Amino acid sequence: MQPQAQSGTVGINQCPLCIMEIKGDDRVEGEVLTCDGCSAELEVVGVSPLRLAEAPEVEEDWGE
Amino acid sequence: MRKLDLVYTRLRTEERMLLDALRKRDCVVGLHQDADLVLSLDRKPWTDSQLVLMRSMSFTRSRYLAAMMEVKGSRVVNGSRAITTCGDKVQTTLALAASDLPLPWAFVGFEEDACVSEITRRGFPVVMKPVVGSWGRMVARLDSPSAAEGLLSMRFGTGSAQDHVALVQQYIDKPGHDLRVYVVGSAIGGIRRRSEHWITNTARGATAERYEVPASHAKLAEQAAAAVGGEIVAVDLLETRGGDILVNEVNHCVEFARSIEVSGIPIPEHIADYVLGVLS
Repeated sequence: MQPQAQSGTVGINQCPLCIMEIKGDDRVEGEVLTCDGCSAELEVVGVSPLRLAEAPEVEEDWGE
Repeated sequence: MRKLDLVYTRLRTEERMLLDALRKRDCVVGLHQDADLVLSLDRKPWTDSQLVLMRSMSFTRSRYLAAMMEVKGSRVVNGSRAITTCGDKVQTTLALAASDLPLPWAFVGFEEDACVSEITRRGFPVVMKPVVGSWGRMVARLDSPSAAEGLLSMRFGTGSAQDHVALVQQYIDKPGHDLRVYVVGSAIGGIRRRSEHWITNTARGATAERYEVPASHAKLAEQAAAAVGGEIVAVDLLETRGGDILVNEVNHCVEFARSIEVSGIPIPEHIADYVLGVLS
């Protein structure tokens, strides 16, 4: 899933999967959040303007 | 104004909590996503801060980044030695064994027949783990010779040369849970991870319970942390039905989001205090 286009408001965008509106206040690039609409795990890929993408699959060497 | 750099892969609940705890202490935090970092292989400083809190959850990226940053003059927590050791279960086991800590027996083999023969000699069941991996992924219990032959055939018949290593460990018949002790400089508390399944990772659905860490367990965890050179680690302990305590694994990129509410241990606050103590 590609990051979706920005909406008209810098700090607000939509979930790329269910178009639920998501606010971007105090977000950081790389931050992971869960969509309240569809429970998808999303990653913040841009903050000004806010851009969201479906969080990538876990890599083989990720962990504790 | 105190300043440090925080390196992360994804800013999860854990990193958010750490960021908040550090900022609450008037610390300026430089945030760096590991994928964005491109560092030269030399001694030139890469930052104007003195300390790096390494929270990359990629073993590959974190060990190289920590090593490069150390050469460039940064104090990295956890450092490259701890990451390199903890990220490789063979190296972890060797470090723990070198410190004479109580462990499940384990062996390493490089060929199917030799491994099946050794497992048969020692007796079933046994546990086979990938040398690099986390969250209980690809950990298998081998209950029979046919299961061992099948899984070892896959182990040695797929992947590349670096995957063709079988780490086989004693199966411990746990009393429905294992224990995790958090070490942040010293032992600060722990959780009991309970599951009907023999794999007791919270990432695999085990539930966390509060666990009052006795002094003997705290000491063992601190010894395990020292053995791998870890400052902020989670030490997993196995309790046998007979009451013996064995060190199973040491984790260098401690996760706590699923357990902090139950444990009541303010782990991010401890980590913030610890790293700022290192800075001062």
